[in-house]
Amino acid sequence: MSDNAIRISDLTVRYGRMTAVDHAALDVARGAVYALVGRNGAGKSSLVRCLLGQQKPQDGSAALFGEDAWSRRTSLMQRIGVVTEDADAPPEMSVGAISRFCSRLYDKWDQDSVETRLRTFGVPLTSRFGSLSKGQKKQVSLAMALAISPELLVLDDPTLGLDVVARKSLFEEVIGDLADRGTTVFITTHDLAGVETFADRVGMMENGRLVLDEDVDALKSRFRRIRFAAQPVAIDAAVLRPTVMRSWGGGAEAIVSNYDDVSFERMRSTSNIGAAEVEAMSLEEIFIAIAGAKS
Amino acid sequence: MKNALAIAAREFEEKRFVAYAALAFAILPFVLAAIPGVNGKSPADTIAMGSLIFGSAFAIAVGVISGASFIGRDLSDGRMSFYFSRPAGSLSIWFGKLTASVLMIVGTFGFIIVPARLATGRNWTRIISSSSTWSVLYILAVAIALFLIAHVISTFARSRSPLIALDFAAAVICGVVIRLLFLPLFAGEAFILVKGLAIALGGAAIVAIIGGGAWQLERGRTDRRRNHLALSQFLWTTMAAALLIAAGYVGWVVSAQPGDLAGQVEASRSPSGPFAVISGNAKGRSDYRATFLLNLDDGSKWRLDPRARWGVRYTRDGRSAVVPHLAANAVDMLVYTHGKAEPVNTGLTTSDRDFFVSDDGGRIATISYEGVLSVYDVEQKRSLVSVRLPSAKSMRAFFVTPDVIRIYLNLPDLKIEELDVRARVLRETGSVPSQNFLGVFPDPSATHMLVRAFREGTLSLNDARTGAAIKTLSTGARIKSADYLRDGRIAFVDGPDSAAVLHILAADGTPQRDIPLGAKKWIAILGDDGVRVVLADTNAASGHRMFEAVNITSGTIEHREPAHDSVAAVVFDPRPPIEPLHEVLDIDAQGHVAAWNPATGAKRMITGG
Repeated sequence: MSDNAIRISDLTVRYGRMTAVDHAALDVARGAVYALVGRNGAGKSSLVRCLLGQQKPQDGSAALFGEDAWSRRTSLMQRIGVVTEDADAPPEMSVGAISRFCSRLYDKWDQDSVETRLRTFGVPLTSRFGSLSKGQKKQVSLAMALAISPELLVLDDPTLGLDVVARKSLFEEVIGDLADRGTTVFITTHDLAGVETFADRVGMMENGRLVLDEDVDALKSRFRRIRFAAQPVAIDAAVLRPTVMRSWGGGAEAIVSNYDDVSFERMRSTSNIGAAEVEAMSLEEIFIAIAGAKS
Repeated sequence: MKNALAIAAREFEEKRFVAYAALAFAILPFVLAAIPGVNGKSPADTIAMGSLIFGSAFAIAVGVISGASFIGRDLSDGRMSFYFSRPAGSLSIWFGKLTASVLMIVGTFGFIIVPARLATGRNWTRIISSSSTWSVLYILAVAIALFLIAHVISTFARSRSPLIALDFAAAVICGVVIRLLFLPLFAGEAFILVKGLAIALGGAAIVAIIGGGAWQLERGRTDRRRNHLALSQFLWTTMAAALLIAAGYVGWVVSAQPGDLAGQVEASRSPSGPFAVISGNAKGRSDYRATFLLNLDDGSKWRLDPRARWGVRYTRDGRSAVVPHLAANAVDMLVYTHGKAEPVNTGLTTSDRDFFVSDDGGRIATISYEGVLSVYDVEQKRSLVSVRLPSAKSMRAFFVTPDVIRIYLNLPDLKIEELDVRARVLRETGSVPSQNFLGVFPDPSATHMLVRAFREGTLSLNDARTGAAIKTLSTGARIKSADYLRDGRIAFVDGPDSAAVLHILAADGTPQRDIPLGAKKWIAILGDDGVRVVLADTNAASGHRMFEAVNITSGTIEHREPAHDSVAAVVFDPRPPIEPLHEVLDIDAQGHVAAWNPATGAKRMITGG
């Protein structure tokens, strides 16, 4: 039995001459929450389609619980809940009909949990799926995805187009469910603030390449914003590596990607940098810094 | 299976409004029948016809619309992930959706026609025809076929892939290959095979599309372009394999040799010379008819278009056979000459009713359905003259010389005309008054002719050009057969069935010899070799058919050979041939063709030996 819920190895997806995913590799441990971020067109959705066995990569592989996602898709889907980027249920189906249909496909199905969640979300079973708001459609998808008590929950940009309330509700539901079941979660999103509180690991895609794949705590601990009262400031790159360096008020601001207190104190003691203020950064800020540096 | 049924049920539920619409259309014929002025003479007829029209149109419309949307639209709208993000296999998704759509087509058709069928009783059968079950099944088959075709086109078109250009090319190639496969079967009058092959290729196409649908979802899943690619690969590979197998089969069918002919064998021979046409159904090839022009002297053979088997004409010298070769909507005239491996195309293309050739084959005359006689010079490859002939019940014509054609027209008076090709003049040269059909048998030089009045039972000697009577040869007696011999003497058989007599007369009609033949019910003079007259006859007592070689010098029957189905000579030119008769042909009960030599009495098998 594999320790990893997800293993993506050397995965490459091409559309004609365009490379959507370029030799990506990542592991997600069982019970972990993995957030994959990246701009539109970075290759996240192609990677997710490969992960769900909906698309065969040109090179490499995607494995779920040690089994190949492409060839073992049907049986693997019994263990995986999916919330797709676009609500894909037929618009003329009622929510109840969707639930009944899904219940026939899965070996285990908790209809009570579906109805409870939909009641919580305020979505009637009789509503036509096509008449629901975007947020409600996502909530319906989530209720269906969680009805099988999945070992892995794949959320492909679940907050896209949702308002703040719907987004908060979605994440709280996910967090609540995670707390209850210890489910592995793989989420692609632009909403870094939303996942920051519960993501264990984060990956970042840029032009098809996975440019970052790291534990969230480690990532957040090594990124710091340092504001200096005066400028110019000469930072010894051998000690602290500035990702971004720019003017800030009368002084300067640096974002360093290898921060630790000992190194910072050593630099401060050996350099004449004057007053400096060190701030922790949010995931979103780190993402912007990395993306800005690369562009 | 469970998942396929769940998906089928879901798809069916999604389309339930179609069933409601079908119910409305089911009521409509009854409403029309209740409206005065619309229902005609019989409300039951209106209901039956209305339900059939509405049911057919509805089923076909549902088929086309469902086919165009049930996979293609889900792919282009990005809704296929609804199934693929769940534990539903590609086969379950495909067959679930397919089942729902087919049931919808069949069900809605049933909704509309069943109430009308029950309500109209015998009117339904009368209107729809006695084979109403088959009519209904044909309509459903068309609707389902259109459904499958619409699915393919929809998948291709909605992918917006340039691959569609290759699909178009593949479809065109398939169409061309299918046409090429069917043409020789049509030419071989193999209508059972044509139907069988059409069903087989249709079945292969259905398998290709249904299998291709399952394959496209397995390989392409939610990606519309990969779906297109997978469907294309499966569809065209399967069709290529099917066409390859079909081509192999058709190739084997049309490769039938004369020795393979076993059923429905027909043959004709040249009056003299080495040629014969043999046609028949080949062993193991169903109703495919293979036809050959055989040179009995050297064994060479040429495959002919079976439709032309009765259109072959021979030159009087027996050296050449002129064969119509059907090409497009016209007929090319090919000349096969003894000693030459390949035929020569005369360059003459015609769609006329009949034709005949000059003694040396240098000129061909055609007669159109409108009665226009045209003369064509083979060497110059040009038409020399065309004239319109009087309308006649029947006609015989031949080249007296390459520049003179004589025509005998039964009006019923026998009218004799001659066409001077050089002067381009058609003139009447004589006539023989008669109220009934007259048979004419000119002598080799076309100077005199025998005129046989079938109804009156008389035989006379007449001038072949003017028709003037010269001498009555037989009257009152029962004439069974008459003809000129190659040396200009006259031979005819008459007498009662119990005692037939062969009379040999000089060219001027003077009797030379009477040869008793015994009890003969039916007799045909097949020809002569200078020493013997060859007869095909039926024994009046036993009913057995025989070939008999009668020595006209000694008056004895030299050789006899049992015959089954003696092969007639194809003649348009009524004169005796130039060359002596060497062999006659017979088709035995097994369909094998044998040649019998009247001089030696030897028999040899031409086919099936």
